[in-house]
Amino acid sequence: MIYGDRNTGIIVTGATGKQGAFHIALINEYARQVGGRGVVAGVSPGKGGQDVAGVPVCNSIRDALREHDASAAIVFVPAFAAGDSIMEAADAGLSLVVAITEHIPVHDSMRAISYARLNDCAVIGPNCPGLLSPGEVKMGIMPVHLSSRGHIGVISRSGTLTYEIVDQLTRAGLGQSTIVGIGGDPVIGQTFSDVLRRFEDDDQTRAVVLIGEVGGSLEEEGARSTDLPIAAYIAGISAPPEKRMGHAGAIIEGGEGDARSKIERLKAMEVPVASRPSDIPAIIKKLI
Amino acid sequence: MKLLEYEAKAIFAEQGIPVPRGAVIRSPEELPGRIADLPPEFVLKAQVDVGGRGKAGGILMADRTSGETIAGELFGKLIKGVPVREILIEERLAITHEYYASIAVDRSSKKALILFTDSGGVDIETLAKENPDAIRKASLPLLLNQIPQFMLRDLLGSAPKELGPVIQNLYRVFISRDALLAEINPLVTTPGGPFAADAKLIIDDNALNRQGITQNRDLTEREREAEKHGFSYVELAGSIGVIGNGAGLTMATLDLIEYYQGKAANFLDVGGGADQERVMHAVRLVAADPSVKVIVVNLLGGITRCDDVARGIISAGISQPVIVRLAGTNEEEGRKILDGSGYRMMDSMEEAVQAAVEAVQ
Repeated sequence: MIYGDRNTGIIVTGATGKQGAFHIALINEYARQVGGRGVVAGVSPGKGGQDVAGVPVCNSIRDALREHDASAAIVFVPAFAAGDSIMEAADAGLSLVVAITEHIPVHDSMRAISYARLNDCAVIGPNCPGLLSPGEVKMGIMPVHLSSRGHIGVISRSGTLTYEIVDQLTRAGLGQSTIVGIGGDPVIGQTFSDVLRRFEDDDQTRAVVLIGEVGGSLEEEGARSTDLPIAAYIAGISAPPEKRMGHAGAIIEGGEGDARSKIERLKAMEVPVASRPSDIPAIIKKLI
Repeated sequence: MKLLEYEAKAIFAEQGIPVPRGAVIRSPEELPGRIADLPPEFVLKAQVDVGGRGKAGGILMADRTSGETIAGELFGKLIKGVPVREILIEERLAITHEYYASIAVDRSSKKALILFTDSGGVDIETLAKENPDAIRKASLPLLLNQIPQFMLRDLLGSAPKELGPVIQNLYRVFISRDALLAEINPLVTTPGGPFAADAKLIIDDNALNRQGITQNRDLTEREREAEKHGFSYVELAGSIGVIGNGAGLTMATLDLIEYYQGKAANFLDVGGGADQERVMHAVRLVAADPSVKVIVVNLLGGITRCDDVARGIISAGISQPVIVRLAGTNEEEGRKILDGSGYRMMDSMEEAVQAAVEAVQ
C-alpha cells in the first residue's frame, strides 16, 4: 500500500456540496466492504453540526481533528476556494491531500503545493480521480468494480482512461496494488517520479503501468527516476499543437510535449510503450 | 488566453514597465489623428497572434507622409493567414542592445521559471537548443511576492542594472494577472532607458473569470458553444466525429482512429455526469459539422447510466450513423434501446473505432 490503507482516517472538504456528499457515501460503502475506516468527518465552513451520508460535518479541518483521528483529506470544494482548502489541510498537519477539484487557477495550485511541501504534506492532484488500493482504501472517485487486488501499480494523468486500462488489467488476471490518478493539470503535486518512489518501497507492487498524455515531460522524468519494471501508454498521438485536449495540462506548447517525442524518449530508456490501451496487459505479463 | 501586444503592453505599463509611446488604429483613416504625440518616424505593427510576425511582413516603418498609405497596405494583408484588424503605431526606439526576459509556469519545478538572456530579439526555443548556456534561469516559488535581489543579480550577470526593476515588475504582472507566460522579447536598452519593445501575455483559462475576462477569444465559435455546455471541444480535419467522457479516454479514442488509419473530425469530452440531456447536446454539436460522416460515442464510467445515454443519442435525432461503446450501469437496457432504434452498440472501444473507420471508407 502506498499513501494509506484501511486504517487511514479521511476528512472530506466540501462535504455538503453535491459531489462531496455523493462520494462520501461511495467511499464509506467501500470502506464497509473492506473493513476500513473511510471518511470520519466532513468539513464545510458554517455547516458544522450537520451530517452528510452519516458522517458528522465540522466547520474547519482543525475542528474536525479535535474530535476525529485522520491523516488525509479529500478536497471537493469549488475551484475558487480549492487552493485554500489544500493549504488548510496542510496547515492542520495532515500528511496527504487528494484534490479532486477541476479548473483551479494554476497559480493557486502552485502556491498551495509549495505551502503543503513546507508542511511535509503530499498533494495528489488537482483535477484527478484520487487513488484506490483495491481491498484496502479508496480516496477519491474511482469506480471500484473494475479493479481487483494484485501486484500492478498504476499511475495516470487521466480519469476514465485509467478505468479503461484497469478494466483490461483485471480481465487479464492482473490485479492492482494501488491506482493513482495524479491529475490532468499542468502543475500537480505528486508526479510520476514521486509515486514511483513510493511504489519502490511497496512490497506488493511488482510492475507499474504509467499512463501519460501530451504536455510537459513528467512521464520521461518519472521513467528515468526508477528501476521498477514499467510499461507506458501515452494518449494524444493525434493531438494538434497548441490546442488544449480537455485537460488544462494536455497541450503541446512551443513544440514540446508531443506524444511521438515522449514515446521516443521512453523507448530510448527501454520502456515498452503500448500503441493501444488493450496492448498493456500483454506487455505487463512479459515484464513480470 | 493570449493577449495581443497592445493589450499586454497596457498591462505592463500599469505595473511600471516602460513601453514605447503608441496608439492603436482600426482603419488607415484613423492614423493622422493619432500620431500627433509621436516623432515624425514611427513603426506600424500588425496586432496578430502569430510567431515570426516581423519576417512575415507584419511590422513596417513609416513616417508622417507615408503613414496612412502604408497602414492601408498592412490592413489589406494576411500575416501567416491571419487578417489584420488592428495596428499598433509606435515611436521608433534608438536601440543600443536587445535582451530577452520571460516568466512562465514551470510544470517540473512547480514554480515560476524566470529566463533572461542578453541575446534578445531571437526565438528563445531555437536559442535554447543551439546555445542553452546563453540563457540564465531562476526558479521562484509563488509563495514569494517578489524576486530576491540575489536572484536578480544572478539573472542579469553583466547586463545593465537598470533591467532589474523591469524583471521585478514583470513578476508583478505575472502574479497579478494569473499569467502562464509573461514575456518581453526584445527587452531593449536605449539612451532614454529600457523599454519593452514587444510584449506577450498568456492568461490562465481557469482564471479568466477573476481577471474580468468574459470570453475566451482563443476558441472558435463551435468550441465556445461547446464550452457553454461544459464540454471540451477541439475541431480537427477528418470525418469521424468523436464523443468521449474524460480527456484521456477521448484522446485515446482519437489515437485509435489514427491507428486504424481513419481521421477524426473533432475531440469532444462531455466531462462528468453524462446524462441524457448532455449527451443529446454533444451528439447534435458534433453532427452539426458538415464534414462529420459517422460518430463514435465512447463512454465509460461507474455512475454513467447507459440507458440515459442511449436515450440522449436517440433524442438528438441526427442523420449520421452513431456507433456506441458504453460501459456502466444498466448496460443491457442501453443496448436494447439502441438496437431497437437501428444504432450499433459495440463491446470495446477497438471494435467501435474499427466499425467507424470502415463506415467512412
